[in-house]
Formats: sequence, structure tokens, C-alpha cells
Amino acid sequence: MDELRKSFHQELDDVRADIVKLAALVTEALPRATEALLNNDLVIAQDIIVNDDELDLLSVGIEESCLRILALQNPMAGDMRAVVTAMKLNDEYERSGDLVVNICKGIRRLYGLQLSPQLRGLISQMGDEATRLLRLSIDAYFEGNAGLASALDDMDDRLDDLQEDYIQAIFDDQHQEQELTTQQAVQLAMVGRFYERLGDHAVNAGERIQYMVTGEVPEHSAAARLAERTDEGQSEAGMPDEPDPV
Amino acid sequence: MSDHADDVTAEPADAPRAVFHVEDLRVYYGDFRAVTDVSMDVHDNEITAMIGPSGCGKSTVLRCFNRMNDLIPGARVEGRLDYHSIPLYDHKVDPVEVRRRIGMVFQKPNPFPKSIYDNVAYGPRVAGNKKGLDDLVEQSLRKAALWDEVKDRLKNSAMGLSGGQQQRLCIARAIAVSPDVLLMDEPCSALDPIATALIEELMVEIKEDYTIIIVTHNMQQAARVSDRTAFFTAEVDPNTEQRTGLLVEYAPTDAIFSNPQDERTENYVTGRFG
Repeated sequence: MDELRKSFHQELDDVRADIVKLAALVTEALPRATEALLNNDLVIAQDIIVNDDELDLLSVGIEESCLRILALQNPMAGDMRAVVTAMKLNDEYERSGDLVVNICKGIRRLYGLQLSPQLRGLISQMGDEATRLLRLSIDAYFEGNAGLASALDDMDDRLDDLQEDYIQAIFDDQHQEQELTTQQAVQLAMVGRFYERLGDHAVNAGERIQYMVTGEVPEHSAAARLAERTDEGQSEAGMPDEPDPV
Repeated sequence: MSDHADDVTAEPADAPRAVFHVEDLRVYYGDFRAVTDVSMDVHDNEITAMIGPSGCGKSTVLRCFNRMNDLIPGARVEGRLDYHSIPLYDHKVDPVEVRRRIGMVFQKPNPFPKSIYDNVAYGPRVAGNKKGLDDLVEQSLRKAALWDEVKDRLKNSAMGLSGGQQQRLCIARAIAVSPDVLLMDEPCSALDPIATALIEELMVEIKEDYTIIIVTHNMQQAARVSDRTAFFTAEVDPNTEQRTGLLVEYAPTDAIFSNPQDERTENYVTGRFG
């Protein structure tokens, strides 16, 4: 079968390659940021902050390419889904890059603090989990693997649990010999939150990838809960079975 | 419990009504099978688009809907084609009455070499309608979004109108005989983008009163105006090298253009087809 719209499909392939590159840059920066956090390394932290400009430039280029394709090429069916997904993933990975920068800014604010072994262990694990989720999301995109993309939601539960343990560990540290200042405790809590959000962006990416592959928009958990509540309200006035997760 | 609770075939009251029910339709020109495997329901007050590459049989199928194929020597239609549950090709059905109820607008505007007024009044006059012609002409021209442009020159020749105006005049002429269905065969392919936009807007406005089936090469047009889209393609018999058109996929238009289920549809709408 002859390819009729070669140049257009080449443009789509280029966008796809740029999204993979963007995600790869974030996925490479994240373990470095975690190492810098654990080692109080301001030089690496600063390097990551400066390099985020490269991510932003790439992201702007991707957005412009997608807008140009929408304006000029009238993408249809799978092509349309590919362009829309690229625009959404662009946002998710660009924002992920910003979160890595936020972690690095936290390193500056926490400079000099000796972390307890428990906190060090949890930070290391959160870093590994967030990196794994990002990497798997980009694998799912590259392979067009809707199954893997949908599994990210469940995989993210582990990162959420780690973050809860981490917050508890910060509280526990308050009662140790070397007590954390309120400012340090808040900064540490925010760093934990940045890791947790990185996982959420990977899950969002997974949902968009499912749409790209299957054409179906996956139901968001909140939308599913609302639909369930509405159904229950119609049959019997009752509360949802499970409370909202914290 | 309702009396029909066990009747699983009963349709809900708001289900779209099928104007045409097509089942395993095949069209032959002599021994040559031009189209095969067409099964679809055309719904009331909807715009149904038929798209596909040249030679896929979409215009042939369109002509079946008002028995225009009867006029082609050797043409033969097999299978089932019901119009409001009446077999359209039954020998008792009068093809002239069929074509009054099911009007047609062609690719090239084809006004009669008469005045604008006489073009619109032609059908009603032939039908013996002599009273209230002025009102009927005005209403038809208004429905076709042409009245304001021609109301001061109704006696002028229709041939002096622009291409887009001529096509809207042909639509006015078609609706002057109060049809039920309008068939449109590439109605905008000879028009500029502004005239095309006017016709498309008109189609969406008048679908409240008519059922419209449009054949178009312009996929964007099908996407813009239609409620349902039928994708046709042609397959070549390796032994005889004959090309036969067939219906590949028929679905709500947004499904065809955002998530088609058949790979051939996907390849066509994304331009991976040749």
C-alpha cells in the first residue's frame, strides 16, 4: 500500500521523537536530583535547574509543531489522537521537569541538614519509584502499549504509600535528638509532595496513551466515584462504600 | 410492568426512525457487479455522508435511493432496499412518485434556462399545483437561503446567477415539491469555499425537515456536516480484475473520524491509502 501523506506523517514521527526525548531528559534528571538531595550537592542541583531551560525550549517546539499540524493538516482518526496525545504528554512531561527543578530548589533550602537514615531511605525509594513510573510511561507511549499505560495507576499506589510513610517519618524526626526546624520540616514535606506529583503525572500520561491507542477516554477515578454516587443516589440514598483516599 | 417488557426487539420511543433500510444490496451493470455487501439504515432528519475513493460505488448506491439507476440500460439492483418499510424496487412502486419524494441535487448546478421563479415553480406546476405559487417559490428560496439575494430579480434568467447561487437554486427547486429525502451527489465540488460553506450551513439548517444523503470526496465536508458516515472502498477480483465497490464501515461520524474500527477506514481517513 502506498503512503499518500509522507511529509505529514514524517512531521508526526518527529513530534513523537521529541516527546520521547523530553520524557527521557526528565527521567535522566530525576535520579540525579535525588542523589544531589541525599548528598547535599548544590552543584548538580544548580546544573539541573539551568538545564530545565532546554526542556522548556523543546516543549515549546513540540507545542508549535502540534498547533501547526492541527491548523494545516486536518489530522483524522489515529493521527488526530496522536497529535492530541502529544500535546497532553508535552504538558505532563514539561510539568514533571518543573517538579524535578522544585526538588533541586529544595536542596538549596535544606542545605546543611543531615537527614536521618529513615528519611534517606524513603527519599531514595520515592526517587526510584517516580523514575520507574516515568520510564514505564514513556515505554508505553513508544510501544503503543495500552495495557502497560493502564497499569501505571495501580503502580502509583506504592509511591503514594511511600510518601505517607515519609510524612510520618518527618513527624517522628521532630521527637529525635536533632530536632528539625518547622521550616526544614515543611521543605522536606514539600519535596515528598513533588515526588508524589511526579507519579501522578506519569499516571495522567498513561491515561492519554490509553486514549491514543484505543480511542476510548479512560474514566478518571473522581468521575467514576461521582457516577457511582449518582447511581447509588438514584437507587437508594447512601454513602460511597469507600472514603476518599487522603 | 409494561405489556412489552419481554419484547426485546421493541425500540425506545426516541430511537431514530429508519427512512431507508438497506440489506445486502448489490448493483449490476450487465454481468459486471459494481457494488456489493451494502447494509445500512438511513435515519430520519439526519445527514448521512457516503465517502470513499473513486470507483467505490458510493454514487451508484446513492442513485439506488431514488431509482435513478433504472435509467441506465442493463443496470440491475438486488437485495433489499426499503423506503419507510416499502420495497422501493417493487414493480407496483411508481418511480416518478419515488423521485418526487426523494429529490436529487447534482455535482454541477443544472438550473433550467428559465427565470429564477420558473425554475422553482417548475416542479409544482408539473404536479398541477397552480395556486399559491408565489408563496411556495418564496418559501422554497428562503429555505435554500437564496431569497434575499434574488427577491428583486425573480424574472431574471437563472443562468445569470453565480455557481453557488445556482446550486442553492437547484436545492430550492428540489424542495419546492415537498420531498421527504434529498440526495446530494458532490453538491459543492464545483463551488468556491464560501459558496461551499453556505451550502453546508444550509444542509444543517434544513435537516429538521428533510433526510439528507450526501456523496462527497471532501472528507472534511463529511466530518463537518454529517451525523453518520458510510465508508466505501473497491476491491479488485484477482481473476477478472474487476473492481467491485463495498461498504466497509458505517457509524456515527465522530466515530469514523476519531476512532474507526476497520483498518481500511483508518487508512483512508488518515491518507495511508493508495
